[in-house]
Amino acid sequence: MTRTIELYGRLRDAGLGDSVKVELPAAATARQALAALKKTLGRKSGLVDGCSLATDEDVLLASDPIPAKGRLAALPPVCGG
Amino acid sequence: MRRVTRARLDPAALAAAVSSPKHGGLAAFVGVVRSVHAGRRVKGIEYDCFIPLAERELARILSQAEKKWPARVEAAHRIGALRVGEASVAVAAGSMHRAEAFEACRWVIDEIKTRLPVWKKEKYVKGEGRWLPGCSIRHR
Repeated sequence: MTRTIELYGRLRDAGLGDSVKVELPAAATARQALAALKKTLGRKSGLVDGCSLATDEDVLLASDPIPAKGRLAALPPVCGG
Repeated sequence: MRRVTRARLDPAALAAAVSSPKHGGLAAFVGVVRSVHAGRRVKGIEYDCFIPLAERELARILSQAEKKWPARVEAAHRIGALRVGEASVAVAAGSMHRAEAFEACRWVIDEIKTRLPVWKKEKYVKGEGRWLPGCSIRHR
């Protein structure tokens, strides 16, 4: 299935815009989605290190399956305030 | 009231929101964009944010604080382009006694820094801006 992952913070510097589309197996986990994102970023894949995957309701654990619907976002280390 | 907003923050309104005739203590924290960081002159900060999750997480933080302390708490985080001297985050806590108000206020700002999906790109007077390093987002 094709899913869109929104990019935030330093990931916006990957030159891919605000989001990317990735191909994922059915019932993929957050870990698999981040691995697919890393592959898509190519030589800028290091930007994904330390990132988490989230829905608009929660941050997912690496082993969590990604929900079938809804927004997905890759979250670099945060620094609000 | 939007807690994650592009509008200027109003710390006085936050303080009013947590005030009560029963409260003898009111603590507030306001984070402000400063002009120097790591020896570089800063002209502003661009705040990026995954808004729907940030709003939910901030509501959860405030709810948890009100369970931990006998206090009313409120907070707001600004996003977008801010200049030096502008407030980026504000927290207010009101309680019967100062200790609980201080503790709740401190706890909320510390949680905001590790749990809200917010990122800042510093813009400098000279040279290119850069995304500041942060900490991996903490699960609640």
